[in-house]
Amino acid sequence: MDSLNSVVSRSPSVVTRKTGNEYVLVPVTDNIADMTSVYTLNETGTFIWELIDGEKNIGDIINALIKEYDTDPDTAKEDVLSFISKMKKYLVVK
Amino acid sequence: MLNYNLQIAGYNIRIESDQDGPDLVPEERFHKNIIRSADYDVLIRVHHGHYIIPEEAERLFVAPYIIEAKDMKITTRDNFWSVYRYQSSLFICTNFPADKNKTAVLKFSLLMREWDLWIDGTGNSSDPLEYPLDGLILYYLTVINGDIMIHAAGVNIAGQGFLFSGISGKGKTTIATIFGDSGARIIHDDRLIIRNINSDYYMFNTPVRRDDSPDKSHLHRIFLIEHAQVNKISPLSGAKAVTNVIANCIQHNYSSDMIARFLGSVSILCSAIPVATLQFKPDRSVIDHLLEYV
Repeated sequence: MDSLNSVVSRSPSVVTRKTGNEYVLVPVTDNIADMTSVYTLNETGTFIWELIDGEKNIGDIINALIKEYDTDPDTAKEDVLSFISKMKKYLVVK
Repeated sequence: MLNYNLQIAGYNIRIESDQDGPDLVPEERFHKNIIRSADYDVLIRVHHGHYIIPEEAERLFVAPYIIEAKDMKITTRDNFWSVYRYQSSLFICTNFPADKNKTAVLKFSLLMREWDLWIDGTGNSSDPLEYPLDGLILYYLTVINGDIMIHAAGVNIAGQGFLFSGISGKGKTTIATIFGDSGARIIHDDRLIIRNINSDYYMFNTPVRRDDSPDKSHLHRIFLIEHAQVNKISPLSGAKAVTNVIANCIQHNYSSDMIARFLGSVSILCSAIPVATLQFKPDRSVIDHLLEYV
């Protein structure tokens, strides 16, 4: 599991575009067979994605989520770790 | 023929046999697209023989040969066509399902209007746009022009242009036939190119089958279709509309720049043209349902 001190940055292997309050993510690929993976981030996903800047660590992101949505710490931690786990292909965690 | 111009989806493509080139024999499906023109958007010089791409060229993208049968996709060959890059040039290396001895290399650039095509393994005559080269060349013309190539059927009914998009098996041909039987003009039932011309969106067909005639229509609505027991339309907006439209587009996503431009084109399209999912019963009732909705 990633440490709360780990710093997360976005991988260059994905291209994003914000549309309204949501993001569309299109992965870079070298094979036409992998063309079906296009993602939409919902509002919470968008909030987390925008905090991923290569400077903030996972703990910072969890704290920002707690503050923004008045969420309890356990839920916020679960949301952030789950997001990072799902999107790890498109993130760099150090 | 030693040269000819094709007008496809508004693109003027000039094909010229070089001094060492073959006699150019376009398939019948292209005949209605041949025009007289001294100008061109892209010139393709055709050579006869084998072209060896530089050893240092980097392979960017590969497509297997996939056949579809009864809802199954079967990969019959891992390397159908590939895209390579060396310095500022791109190369498409392909073989041809219809002629096992034939191979070709297209050398091109997204910045240049003059491209070169080498065809090998045929006699002295050849169609320079045999599948899959036709679709690949058209795709890169859409990339250059910020246009969109999509798996979709298009119809025009009472002046309204509707695009029905879906991958194989979702019902493109079925819905095009239902509309055609009711007097609508069918632009195409399989593949369309969407272009923004002078702030209006149009959908163009491309020559896929022998009896295809060049056609286009204003585009007013986009529907993402699937078969169902009842007719139901659900509007999509924002990122969901963009994501769902992208899923049905033809795209070579090996370059961040190309993806970013493509995402921009689809986002602008989805902000200008209403997008909805359409679950439809395969009978005439879908027309009434749809016309009531719009």
